[in-house]
Amino acid sequence: MLTAALVCGIGLLPWLSRTDPALTVLKARSAERAPTPETLRAIREQLGLEDGPLALLGHWLGGLLHGDAGRSWVSDTEVLSAVAQALGASLMLMAGSIVVTLLTVAAVCARTLRLGSRRKLVGRGPGGTGSAVLAALPEFLVASVLASVVGVQLGWLPALGWYGPQWMVLPSLALGLPAGAVLGRMLDDLLPAAFAEPWALAAVSRGIPPKSVARQALRRCVPGLLPNLGLFVVGLTGGSVAVEQIFDIPGLGRLTLRAALAQDLPVLQTGTLALVLLAALAALLARLGVRWLIGPALRDGALHSLHRPTPPAARVAPLVYGLLLAGVIACGLPRDPLALDTAAKLQAPSWAHPFGTDSLGRDVLARISHGALTTLGIAFAVSVAALVLGVLLGLLPRLSGPLVDTVNAVPPVLAALLVTGVAGSGPWTPAVAVAVVAWSPLAAHTSSLLRQERATLHLMATRALGAGPGHILRRELLPAVLPPVVRHALLRLPGIALALAALGFLGLGAQPPSPEWGLLLAENQPYVERAPWAVLAPAAVLALLGALAVTAAGGVRLPRLRRGNPPASAPPAQRTPQSPPEPDRPAVLASAASDSSPTDPR
Amino acid sequence: MRSPRLQLIAGCLLTPLLAGCFSSSGGDSSSDSSGSGEGGRLSIALAFQPVENYSPYGEDAFTLSRLAVAEGLTRLDANGTAAPALAESWSSEQGGKSWVFKLRDAKFQDGTDVTAKAVATALAHAAEADPAPSAISGVKLTAEAVGDDQVKVTTADADPVLPLRLSNPALSVFAPKAYAEDGKVNVVGTGTGPFEITKTTGSTAVALDRFDDYWGGRAQASGIDAKFVTDGTARANALRTGDVDIAEALPVAQVASLDEKTVHEVNTARNASLYLNTQAGVFKDAGLRAAAREAIDTSVIAKGVYDGYAEPAKGLFGPALTWASGKRTEPTGRAKAADPKGKNITIATYNDRPELPEAAQVLQQQLEKAGFKVKLEVRAYARLESDLLAKKFDAAVAARNMMLDTGDPVTVLASDYTCDGSYNLSFLCDKNVDKLVAGAQSETDTAKRQDGAMRTEAAILGTDAVIPLVHQKIVTGIATSVHGAILDPYERQFVGTGTRS
Repeated sequence: MLTAALVCGIGLLPWLSRTDPALTVLKARSAERAPTPETLRAIREQLGLEDGPLALLGHWLGGLLHGDAGRSWVSDTEVLSAVAQALGASLMLMAGSIVVTLLTVAAVCARTLRLGSRRKLVGRGPGGTGSAVLAALPEFLVASVLASVVGVQLGWLPALGWYGPQWMVLPSLALGLPAGAVLGRMLDDLLPAAFAEPWALAAVSRGIPPKSVARQALRRCVPGLLPNLGLFVVGLTGGSVAVEQIFDIPGLGRLTLRAALAQDLPVLQTGTLALVLLAALAALLARLGVRWLIGPALRDGALHSLHRPTPPAARVAPLVYGLLLAGVIACGLPRDPLALDTAAKLQAPSWAHPFGTDSLGRDVLARISHGALTTLGIAFAVSVAALVLGVLLGLLPRLSGPLVDTVNAVPPVLAALLVTGVAGSGPWTPAVAVAVVAWSPLAAHTSSLLRQERATLHLMATRALGAGPGHILRRELLPAVLPPVVRHALLRLPGIALALAALGFLGLGAQPPSPEWGLLLAENQPYVERAPWAVLAPAAVLALLGALAVTAAGGVRLPRLRRGNPPASAPPAQRTPQSPPEPDRPAVLASAASDSSPTDPR
Repeated sequence: MRSPRLQLIAGCLLTPLLAGCFSSSGGDSSSDSSGSGEGGRLSIALAFQPVENYSPYGEDAFTLSRLAVAEGLTRLDANGTAAPALAESWSSEQGGKSWVFKLRDAKFQDGTDVTAKAVATALAHAAEADPAPSAISGVKLTAEAVGDDQVKVTTADADPVLPLRLSNPALSVFAPKAYAEDGKVNVVGTGTGPFEITKTTGSTAVALDRFDDYWGGRAQASGIDAKFVTDGTARANALRTGDVDIAEALPVAQVASLDEKTVHEVNTARNASLYLNTQAGVFKDAGLRAAAREAIDTSVIAKGVYDGYAEPAKGLFGPALTWASGKRTEPTGRAKAADPKGKNITIATYNDRPELPEAAQVLQQQLEKAGFKVKLEVRAYARLESDLLAKKFDAAVAARNMMLDTGDPVTVLASDYTCDGSYNLSFLCDKNVDKLVAGAQSETDTAKRQDGAMRTEAAILGTDAVIPLVHQKIVTGIATSVHGAILDPYERQFVGTGTRS
């Protein structure tokens, strides 16, 4: 149903956005060709555009039943083989990055697993700031650095093309490292709770080897991450445009981006359909995985809420990060972010320009601090909207489940084009376009938490004591689910800031010379080797924001704990539950990083 | 859970399956370097992917021409005049309504002879293509064989620049068997150039072998492996790692990181200009256009944005067109600059070429200093053009190749600056300009057409409808081991018989 609606939406795209497909197709074929009425007429005739969208859509669907996805409007080649090839490349890339992701996750969690399985975790503070910083880095930056340092300067691995396994290493690293950092941090956050469950204590005291204990703890925690791993796989298959571009990989991300810009509907429809199918498959696998790991416990309602043994104390870290961020912003405010001086372009950091200058000789520090307010303001507003939407829809998993999978599979640019088509392009369009996609991982998170929470023993007890569904929702489920989802949303704040900027090339969102952060990163990316500071400074600030969001989330939790008085009916052991899975959807980072420099330089 | 042997078997079975997920790398590049003092295979990175599956009637024709696969009857030489290619010589009849081309002895890559009949067939197919190739759009062209080695090409109206038109790669000649019933053209092994396509890999790579019977002599390189790499940084990286011998169209931002000896620049006929909307908004007022012109310092853009890989513009026709500078006259009839008084303007530009948004930001600062209030609108070109042509912006920064399609300077002036022009970004409609363009169009002599073009240029600049910013250079990265790459200001040639590594 949803898929059908999506495909129809794409089919109507040019008519919704009132952009003549004949013109965009002509420009995709030849950028310099003058759009004379005669030429446009010829193309319209060639494509059969006169018949209107419905006839075209019907024709395409009819062909699809016979395994024929039509021919590309631009190149007049078979769509199916082109999409299949691109999908193959993308899936290979994805397989590679899953391997890197898992290795990264393992590296991040190794310490907790080792200590936890030997019951030495008590009293050790959670680490993870490093991985939070890595998680906030945009992929295109990681990719650029890897390509120029490892690929070109060291020459260890090929940095260009897609010809065999050794070509997979660098792109997989670029995609997998940030994603692995995110998922690893989430898992690392959960593990102490698992080790604190009674069975773990029992197991250790009976002399069961630490290895087995660790394995069981993983088994307990991984299910919460699986749905989000699925979302990440699908999101990156269609959305890793920037990485595909930098390493010149003929993947599905670039194919659909080009098709979306040229309004090459057969390619766009087929590509999206493939992604939606992939999303359905991934969701199914995730579901099966969860059932395989903790199915019986879920069914019998025999789980505990995942408790941390001791709630992390409010740390100084967020204060330090916050002050640092505020300090940077305050230092830059008196400076002029727009003053150009091309004679002083790309200068290294100095007293006059502490963060150096960009490609037009503007002070990078000034641009960062002047961009902070708008960047953070809009990103925060979008996050709040996505949070509200995500939690509300997450409460209705039957409705939102398929919706999440579908929305998540839509390449971000396509989503933006559809939103623009429906809502027109106003000042709020980019925010809406990002929010439309951004709620989905939050909803997935909410519903997966709900599922686990509903299967807990204390809830059964509450129900047995006669609590109504309203009471359970208000007093039990929401307090259990909200804090981790809120933290999840906070963690995604930097990603949303990047996603907003990524829409700039559609004419949505911030326009130069505005010092919006995403724009800063995008416009300085070509100079990453000549003037690393122009990119690294905004990236560092973004990472700082990520670290702040993550650590502050730990602090935010404290007041909640005190306020959240359990209802009288709840057994004291099941006080406010906390920190169940807190997976992120790194795809957002991807979508943000993508498209910063779209298509050919023609 | 599973025995190791099973896993091994599964692995073996999967390997070929996975291999399908990678691109094949074009050709067997290393195995082929012959030892007889001849060049091995060249490996090059091209910027523009084939968009229409190598159809010779669109942009891909330029790729075929740059890879020396296909040729037409004529080619464009460095002076912008038509030079012999498949045709040895030509002459006009009936006052320019028809031209007779005498063919040279040549062979198609499929082994058949280039006959008058084959050439006439090829031209007829090009004329029938729909949409017509832009070089002959609007020209009703027919071709017939006269004897064995002469082709007569007739147009509905006298066409003094027909030999120039035929130099356009879209009018390349392919063997008769290339033309299918449904109008498609198979360019594999059917051209006449020194290299023939042996294998295409989607839009990511193409492999070519030397065509030994080329009329101009055997090429020195035994073959070419070309990759299409759209990202400029990636092309520069490919050259630096030695993946490719030649990388075309390197972005200015990457040049500084390359070895100086590999950087080669050449002037192109491409300008970046600021087009002022003469029909709607602030710049309807010629005085304000003059104020904008006076406010702009183009040398800042050439040096600051293009890092010196561009020259401050002197007019519409830059240094790549060697004839232009000697014939230039001062613009006449310019209005006196008026006071902008803080008027709001919107400048549109596109980010497909990374230098344009930067140039626009420099312009913004310069115009604001002069008293305008400037807003920028930057999008991908595909998302910009319809609004641009609908006069939604006050001004636009755009790059334009002045030698497009025909290689004739007057054609571009007609499409860009006359009332009926199809790509008139300034929406200029000026009687004097139209008259001058019409006058230049009727000239048959190349030199006189050039004179006419320069007179028109002066008149156009006199209206201040367009402010040329820079004449762009194209930067090609060529490994030091490579000799004989062709740096063509018209961007139609790239490798030739003399290119070797």
